[in-house]
Amino acid sequence: MALVYDDAKAKIVEFVESKSKTKSKFYFNDLCGVFPEEKQRDVKKILNQMVAEEIMIYWSSGSTTLYGLKGAGKQAAAEHED
Amino acid sequence: MAFVSSGYNPAKPMENRITDIGPRYYGDFMPPVIVKNKGKWMWHEILEPGVLMHKAESGDEVYTVRCGAARLMSVTHIREICAIADKFCGGHLRFTTRNNVEFMVTTKADALALKKYLNDQKFAGGSYKFPVGGTGAGVTNIVHTQGWVHCHTPATDASGTVKATMDVVFEEFVNMRLPAPVRISMACCLNMCGAVHCSDIAILGIHRKPPIIDHEVLDSMCEVPLAVAACPTGAVRPTKIEYKGKTVNTVAIKNERCMFCGNCYTMCPSLPLSDKEGDGIALLVGGKLSNRMTKPKFSKVVVAFIPNEPPRWPSMTKVVKKILDTYAADARKYERLGDWAARIGWERFFEKTGLEFTEHLIDDFRDPAYYTWRQTTQFKF
Amino acid sequence: MAKHKTPLLDQLESGPWPSFVSDIKDEAETRHKNPNGVDYQIPVDVCDDLLGILELSYVEGETHWKHGGIVGVFGYGGGVIGRYCDQPQAFPGVAHFHTVRVNQPSGMYYTSDYLRSIMDVWDRRGSGLTNMHGSTGDLVLLGTQTAQLEEIFFELTHNLNTDLGGSGGNLRTPSCCLGESRCEFACYDTQEMCHTLTNDYQDELHRPAFPYKFKFKFDGCPNGCVAAIARSDFSVIGTWRDKIRVDQKAVAAYVGGELAPNAGAYAGRDWGKFDIVAEIVNRCPSGCFQFEGGKVVINDKECVRCMHCINVMPRALRIGNDRGASILLGAKAPILDGPQMSSLLVPFISAEAPYDEVKEVIENIWDWWMEEGKNRERVGETMKRMGFQKLLEVTKRKPDPRNVWEPRHNPYIFWKEEDVTGGWTRDIDAYRKKHQR
Repeated sequence: MALVYDDAKAKIVEFVESKSKTKSKFYFNDLCGVFPEEKQRDVKKILNQMVAEEIMIYWSSGSTTLYGLKGAGKQAAAEHED
Repeated sequence: MAFVSSGYNPAKPMENRITDIGPRYYGDFMPPVIVKNKGKWMWHEILEPGVLMHKAESGDEVYTVRCGAARLMSVTHIREICAIADKFCGGHLRFTTRNNVEFMVTTKADALALKKYLNDQKFAGGSYKFPVGGTGAGVTNIVHTQGWVHCHTPATDASGTVKATMDVVFEEFVNMRLPAPVRISMACCLNMCGAVHCSDIAILGIHRKPPIIDHEVLDSMCEVPLAVAACPTGAVRPTKIEYKGKTVNTVAIKNERCMFCGNCYTMCPSLPLSDKEGDGIALLVGGKLSNRMTKPKFSKVVVAFIPNEPPRWPSMTKVVKKILDTYAADARKYERLGDWAARIGWERFFEKTGLEFTEHLIDDFRDPAYYTWRQTTQFKF
Repeated sequence: MAKHKTPLLDQLESGPWPSFVSDIKDEAETRHKNPNGVDYQIPVDVCDDLLGILELSYVEGETHWKHGGIVGVFGYGGGVIGRYCDQPQAFPGVAHFHTVRVNQPSGMYYTSDYLRSIMDVWDRRGSGLTNMHGSTGDLVLLGTQTAQLEEIFFELTHNLNTDLGGSGGNLRTPSCCLGESRCEFACYDTQEMCHTLTNDYQDELHRPAFPYKFKFKFDGCPNGCVAAIARSDFSVIGTWRDKIRVDQKAVAAYVGGELAPNAGAYAGRDWGKFDIVAEIVNRCPSGCFQFEGGKVVINDKECVRCMHCINVMPRALRIGNDRGASILLGAKAPILDGPQMSSLLVPFISAEAPYDEVKEVIENIWDWWMEEGKNRERVGETMKRMGFQKLLEVTKRKPDPRNVWEPRHNPYIFWKEEDVTGGWTRDIDAYRKKHQR
């Protein structure tokens, strides 16, 4: 079943928001878990599009990378970027 | 300083955006003699330390002058390198994987003139700017990481330990008199963003104290699940404690499980790791990655801890020099440091180098440990 | 007059090896004098403050940097490493000090014009300090502020026609040895394979979707100058399948002393007269190299291509003509379960453009690792956890004795039902007809 962008986007946002009390950043694998039937590469396309639309942003530990909703999370504030 | 726009429009980041173009095509940068003879080189010769000659089927020759450099380099220094390339090499140059700079010319006379010129250039403090060497059976440049110059989890400095070590072993950079090449590498913590685990001599920063927990602000600065997930040994867990009269969400750390990697600090700035007394250097030796004669080998820890002694780390460099000198005097031609130690036996290695064998040098970390214990009655008294 | 006193760092100005302290001090002074009239976009005293904070680390023995999660430019998940100083009041010039990784050209050849054009960008928009190069191979621009990142990227892509490298859980910037460009040992064109695959996998490089980092390195021969076997998840190492080419006249010249052995690499010490038996015949790991009646005789079928004899007599011995590459998988630094070198997966593969065979191996591995790899698990660890058999299965390869040093030591084989005649379903009544309870 091919992913429809708007549906997939809504599901990812719903998943991330449901966890927002404890964490705001997710590994790619965690987000693929929202679509257990889909190929990882197809999920990646959805996420790429969400990044391009400024809904999601990357967060990097240097060695790994996580995804989160733009503006969410404590790290953004802790880094006190101007 | 007025803001100068590149043309980028922050309101419309996708406007005129160019992405995914990759690196520049290498062929546009190679000197003509390289372009012409690529894939048709027949043999090479090191004429003297730092000067190589490659002979092509066409009869063409290219002379390469290799010089050392600090990996940390300013734009002014790089412009000086560019000026040398313009003056001697038609505007071409290259870097090696071990941070050396190579200048290529087409006659021996030009190469020797260039070598002299490079060796004549000095910084105001007296050090060479472009010491020629780093070829053959010697010590070439040390590959290294960022250290205190830029990293958030280093247990030591990288540029400083490298400078101090290269000063001590400099004669081996400009000579080719060792039994085989000796590759020294430096990583400033055990995460090894510069993987040093197959080096003849590895200088490795290590921490020995678990992170400090900044309970007061941890919950406001960090996402606890991320800090917990970051720990490779599962030593970090979420908890609630009374702190300064308030109940706070924070983490607890099982200290005996901590492997001092700093991964939790990467995810959570409230778990700093650095500590003057705790941090220092371990030395590993005997690794190699060429397949020449013997298989590639991992480096082995032969000194578990040496305190940090900036600016010149005299205890560390003394041990490196001692290991290098012992190897140079005792090994057979073609034997890499690890091949030599394997032939004489590690019990002899410790005897000859005078290094103390301590309990910390016996592997006790997970499965691979067993394969380093001795399952034979073959040993030396 | 220096902004900060640096008595400890000053001690690193003496001694023969190039002093990074002298260089940074010179750069600090140049920025203040500004002879080229540069419109500096980050604080002029960034170099002074870097020296200041480094001196503080030298005094205190502790780092003063904090990690930042900023990843780069819009739409990219890597290429920038975020750094903040933990003493921004004392050292405002380095309060924000992010690193930009620029993808290096294969083989790290440059023209001075191109290098200068990067330096011009970096002079104006960054600290003026670099690493030539980073551990993975990128040209590293060391220290700038967030507002400059997009500007730098715009200038790199629009004016310099170049792109960022990788960081985080993605394909890291691939790198290669200089290969055929200036080495007679190269068994394939490492530069071309590196450049082609870097371009073909730009999405994997810039938009992270892997469990952890993934590195390609391309070595032209088993000497391994770019450390592929130790430092890359996917190691491509050149090799050949036919005969070492022998020039017996040149052999005689080496034996007779007219040619210097080892291309002069050991010339700094008197090792005595070259002895082909002691130095090659007795050192050959597979015992396939003989010297008989003044001639070299190589049993090529038994040769393991260690390069020793070729390294010793490069004018007499040359790599074979039937060339390609071996693919090894899974090297990584010790964290977490100990260090790993890459293990041999494909003994021989064509290394000719457009590299379809190599890419098929890569993509099969990625599909499997993306599916099965745990967060922060290198492919070498996934291999250990799931077994080499699984790797063969996903890459559609037959088991080969060359995959292992030796067969397994235990008989605990996880037989599958389809391996066994008649399957696993058995009839207890039929069994009881032959065996009493």
